Amino acid sequence: MEHDLSRVVDALPGLVWTALPDGRTDYLNQRWCDYTGLTLSQACDFGWYAAIHPDDLEGLLATWRASVASGQPGEAEARLRRHDGVCRWFRFSTAPLLDADGRATKWVGINTEIEDRKQAEEQLRVSEHRFRSIIDGLPANLMLMTPEGVFADGNRQMMEYFGTPFEELRALPVDAKIHPDDRPELMRRWGHSIATGEDCDTEARFLRADGEYHWFRTLGVPLREDDGRIAMWHLLQMNIDDRKQAEVLLAGEKLVLEMVATGQPMAGILDALCGLVEDTISGGYCSIVLIDAHAARLKHGAAPSLPKSFITSIVGRPVTVESGPCAMAVHDGRQVIAPDLSKEARWADDWLPMAMAHGLRSCWSIPIPACPGRVLGAIAIYYDQPKTPTAADQAVIEQIVHIASIAIERAQSDAALKRSEAFLAETRRLSSTGGLSKRMSTGEITWSDEIYRMFEFEPGVPVTLDLIMTRVHPDDAFTFKDMLDAQQLGNDYIHEYRLLMPDGATKYLYVVASAGRDQDGELEYIAAVQDVTPRRLSEEALTKARSELARVARVSSLGALTASIAHEVNQPLSGIITNADTCMMMLDADPPDVRGARETVRRTIRDGNRAAEVIARLRALFTNKDAQLETMDLSAVAREVIALAMSELQRNHVVVRYEFANDLPSVTGDRVQLQQVILNLLLNASDAMSGIDDRPRQIVVRTERDAGDAVRLSVEDAGAGFGPDVADRLFDAFYTTKTGGMGIGLSVSRSIIASHRGRLWAIPNDGPGATFSFSIPPRPKGAVDAGRQGVTATPAASDPGRSFSNSVSKR
Amino acid sequence: MIASKSLVSVVDDDQSVREALPDMLRQFGFAVQVFSSAEGFLASGYIGQTRCLLLDVAMPGMSGPDLQEELRRRRQPIPIVFITADTDATLRPRLMEDGAVECLFKPFSHTALREAVRAALGQN
Repeated sequence: MEHDLSRVVDALPGLVWTALPDGRTDYLNQRWCDYTGLTLSQACDFGWYAAIHPDDLEGLLATWRASVASGQPGEAEARLRRHDGVCRWFRFSTAPLLDADGRATKWVGINTEIEDRKQAEEQLRVSEHRFRSIIDGLPANLMLMTPEGVFADGNRQMMEYFGTPFEELRALPVDAKIHPDDRPELMRRWGHSIATGEDCDTEARFLRADGEYHWFRTLGVPLREDDGRIAMWHLLQMNIDDRKQAEVLLAGEKLVLEMVATGQPMAGILDALCGLVEDTISGGYCSIVLIDAHAARLKHGAAPSLPKSFITSIVGRPVTVESGPCAMAVHDGRQVIAPDLSKEARWADDWLPMAMAHGLRSCWSIPIPACPGRVLGAIAIYYDQPKTPTAADQAVIEQIVHIASIAIERAQSDAALKRSEAFLAETRRLSSTGGLSKRMSTGEITWSDEIYRMFEFEPGVPVTLDLIMTRVHPDDAFTFKDMLDAQQLGNDYIHEYRLLMPDGATKYLYVVASAGRDQDGELEYIAAVQDVTPRRLSEEALTKARSELARVARVSSLGALTASIAHEVNQPLSGIITNADTCMMMLDADPPDVRGARETVRRTIRDGNRAAEVIARLRALFTNKDAQLETMDLSAVAREVIALAMSELQRNHVVVRYEFANDLPSVTGDRVQLQQVILNLLLNASDAMSGIDDRPRQIVVRTERDAGDAVRLSVEDAGAGFGPDVADRLFDAFYTTKTGGMGIGLSVSRSIIASHRGRLWAIPNDGPGATFSFSIPPRPKGAVDAGRQGVTATPAASDPGRSFSNSVSKR
Repeated sequence: MIASKSLVSVVDDDQSVREALPDMLRQFGFAVQVFSSAEGFLASGYIGQTRCLLLDVAMPGMSGPDLQEELRRRRQPIPIVFITADTDATLRPRLMEDGAVECLFKPFSHTALREAVRAALGQN
């Protein structure tokens, strides 16, 4: 039986043995011996130890002893060395063999190979370990949550981030670490995902171990069982601080730049910039200082989070190194970093104690650069704790300073532009000036609102030449067209013309035009147009007043004319008396010559009327004034007169050119009288051209030296001129070719010049027109009695041969 | 046959004078030629026949004294009675000194004229 049993045991598909409680084997079946390559005698007693992997023996024996002690079946795993030296895993199962008394005197064991399972287990273990390492090594927080949303596990990164022991973390409310501002939204979404099993994707700030919040994107994905139930939630958290900061910065930049673009006041823009800094660099207070126009002192920019007392003690500080960090940053054009004010040695006199008193412990001041070499101001960031800017801070600062530079420079230039535009608009309004541009290539004309108002057209009506011509005064149409022709030459010009408005009112426009090239190189005029109507109207009133004055002045010169006037009266008187005498004679004759007498009476009546006319004119002129003598430069006198007459001349569209000789001797005489002569000559010249439209109405006024240091002044016109018949009478006291004129001018002028011992004459020009000239000696003889000279001296007084001549040369 | 009438020439730029004087002079029995300017007289060919010249002082172009000077230069002296509308009293003595027969200030009476012309013709 024993033998049979032994054969059975040997045949079992397992390694079977029996051992005593102390671990000595007393039987090992054939398969055991075959497997291990040990003989029975080798393996008996403690020989079997040699077949056990040394690392596993201790564990195996411990299990054995425990099993023996308890008397219960035991089980252990250990590696068994095969006959070829390869160790493989076996399960050692033992059970006590009980004797009749129920005592376990012997133990039976069976070893079954579990190598394959062991290997699978090992592989799983290694793979799990590797997986955990990967999870722990993830640069992201990974959390496992129960299907109910309770924290279950997390990777190392996550545990380190929150810095809270595992158990404690599990005990906390699930939203404990979420920024209060982000909590409601996140919990709403998380609750929704738990309820529906849908993926979760949120952005929120979570509290880090050091007390700072950071932005995370949290992705939640459910892990489901085979039956579809949710086994677990995987939450992956990625830090998006950089992106969030960039977003905040970008949004802030956009806001600031929008403010700049829409022309918001600088103060608001700078406030927004400070807010942006404070949003982006957490925990700091930001201020911006600018510099005044002379770059000499700090000016307040913005400091929304700093106390007023702090701001006021910075504003106005000189831009020097000693003034404080901002002044130093502006002065040096470099960052000034004071990481710990309690250890700071600079600005100890003033700024530092002030800043410390305000509770500030660090300050970073960064200059805001503009174009090369110029600094607009500085941005300062303060903390109530010592702090040095990190690389990330510096990156943000760099970007903010860049925006600040753009914003401030734009805002400043906008402000300057607005000021200058407002100034210009106000100037335009005050001076009734408008602007226009005209592209010569297309004829396109652009008007400012002021010009629309001047022309009384609806603003925005397309401007065409035809439209303009409907307003141009008909009398000025000719010169207006001249101006248009002249534009083709591309020269700058000044032009004045009138508008005739539909209500019959006249407007005077004064145009100063400058020719230039537009961006395409085409000729373009830019012109300022001024409504000078009030000025012109007052000038017209002035001209009236002036002509009154001129008349008075003429009359005042009349004293010099007594002889001439008597001459004019005596001529018709002489005719009357001669005719009357003759009439008497004819009537006394026998037979009376009635026909002859009638003729003499007719002539008598005519001469009587002529005398009456002379008297009537005299009445209008009669008054008297003494002449005043002084020494003067005739060119200067002429210049004064031209200036005086300019508006009148321009009104007649007359151009005056001077050709004044240098180094003329001065002349002595009555300035007013001489001015009167020149004025007469100018106005005559102007009048002579009033009908001229086919050539320029030009007057040339010349002064030159005559023989014997005499000074000659000539006025040359381009008018109708005069023929020899008229030349005879030009200087007659009451001769005039003008229907409305008095004709006294030339006669008076001749008398005045004669009283200055000079002469006045006229010659027809080679071309159109005539030239009137007078020449006076530098100092009249007998100047002692000059005070009465103009009144009493007659042209005949000293030199009849010359003075009696009218000096009208008949070339 | 009566001796041909003495020719009195009138040179004056004033039309009234040129129209009025000839009728009166003819009433006195003189022949009369009128000229509006000294130049016109010089060019007329009547210089030789003129026995008396009634000459205005101030005229455009050549004045009365200019003409007197010119005639003297041509050695064709004619007795001259100046007539002037001027009122300057110093004029007459100067003109008389220069050889004028008389200087009449306009307006003048027919008797003053007749006497002056006769004086010029050497008739009194």
